[in-house]
Amino acid sequence: MKKSLFIGQRVLSELLRDKRLFVLSIIAPLFLIFLLKIFIDSMPQSFPAARYAVPFGAFIVHFLSFLLCAIVLVEERATGTLERMFVAGFSRISIVVGYLLGYLILTTIQAIVVLTETMWLIGLNYSIHTVVLFFLTIWMLAMVSVMLGIFASTFARNTSHILPFIPLVVLPSLFLSGLLVNPEQLPKWAELVGMLLPFRYANDIIRELLTGNSDATAIYMNFVVLIGYGVGLMILASRTLRETD
Amino acid sequence: MVITTRQLSKSYGKVSALNCVELEVPQGSIYGVLGSNGAGKTTLIRMLVGLLRPSFGSVEVLGLNPIRERYELRKRIGYMPQSTALYENLSVRDNIVFIGKAHLIPNLREKVDQIIEFVGLTTRARDPVNNLSGGMKKRVSLGCALINDPEIFFLDEPTASVDPHLKRKSWDLFRKLAANGATLLISTHLMDEALLCDKLAIMSKGEIVLVEKPQTILQQGVLSISMTKKNQIFTELVSANPKAVAAKLHDYGLATEIQSVQIGHPNLEDIVLQIIDSQNR
Repeated sequence: MKKSLFIGQRVLSELLRDKRLFVLSIIAPLFLIFLLKIFIDSMPQSFPAARYAVPFGAFIVHFLSFLLCAIVLVEERATGTLERMFVAGFSRISIVVGYLLGYLILTTIQAIVVLTETMWLIGLNYSIHTVVLFFLTIWMLAMVSVMLGIFASTFARNTSHILPFIPLVVLPSLFLSGLLVNPEQLPKWAELVGMLLPFRYANDIIRELLTGNSDATAIYMNFVVLIGYGVGLMILASRTLRETD
Repeated sequence: MVITTRQLSKSYGKVSALNCVELEVPQGSIYGVLGSNGAGKTTLIRMLVGLLRPSFGSVEVLGLNPIRERYELRKRIGYMPQSTALYENLSVRDNIVFIGKAHLIPNLREKVDQIIEFVGLTTRARDPVNNLSGGMKKRVSLGCALINDPEIFFLDEPTASVDPHLKRKSWDLFRKLAANGATLLISTHLMDEALLCDKLAIMSKGEIVLVEKPQTILQQGVLSISMTKKNQIFTELVSANPKAVAAKLHDYGLATEIQSVQIGHPNLEDIVLQIIDSQNR
């Protein structure tokens, strides 16, 4: 655990000093939410802005957290620092947990910034309880996305190898996780595929909260699935992270 | 022996990267692995530090198996990869501290100060690595390898793209480490550097083709000696062995009591360093 803390500290200080990563993690979501606001403003008055605003904000965090983490870890492999970490005595699990710790603060800032901007720009009003649950959902999704990024990076030797994961893992969430249409309206097979994607569970929580008459059990169950998804990915990533070729 | 390999081989599908390598490295020596790019030097080093699994054969480093007993072994070795492998946005100090933390070094702050001074980067300690020259980055990388006082150093082309002055300084440091009992396995493709090793393994196409002391290897070369006698030029090809040179010169009147003749050639590196030193004085 001590070694994971060292890695987390190092990952965080690198992220904060790298302007490119800072732009990708904080500025890019702010800009995308602004574009969402322009899109919503151009729609007729009857357009259900609330139905799409928070889920889209969550999706942007999901996509960028995945991309950021995957790129950074693949760069570690490409530049040889990952190899050096192994020879210095860091284990696979300490590296995976260290990365998670390093991103903990960044994803927290990301979730706060995205949620605040979305609610302010779109003009959404919810109770504190609902806003806290929105935040927890987006934050939890971001952490799962970080795990997904770590997992995907274990199959890549350079940053271009990450690209296939975007259409295969992240973008299907747009269509299959209830962001655009309710999953129940999809063909059975598509609904089942959607259930394999972590965004589905985050979106289910947000949709439930948006009804104003939310089912606490459904929310709780989706949180459990999301946590399970993250833990499962963490175990998988720590097994697939190649220490020896 | 601190490193022993037996028939060590690595292949990727049908491509053989390393073929039946037999290596015995004694403690406290500087052991060079010389070969052109793609000869298998990096593959060999990565297998010795447990980053590559052998396809065939066996390997022992400090009596340990680098794959099965890697955590025990990695506490006792230092590794400097071919690429600088540093965090470019972090400072010199932070890079070395991070590797020191991995080894759970006590009094890390003091130790890092010593290392930074040792590699001559005290004035640049707080600078981010991406502000340093290639040679300075190599020094930081070496600093990372030094932090845990290793018993064996695996240095993969440590002085490639380093200026002659720094190269000489690095070799002074390597000598000092070996004198203190450490073993250094250094890969290089530079001939002048290879001459500084205690023993040399020459690699080609994944195989070790010769293991010898550098001076012995040099003696296997042939010298061309030209002499002018009564306006007539005589050219003789003779083994670089000092005794063979003397024997050949006896035919041209060299007193027979002179048993050996060694002809030293100043190399370019020496001349350039002398010029730089005289300018700096």
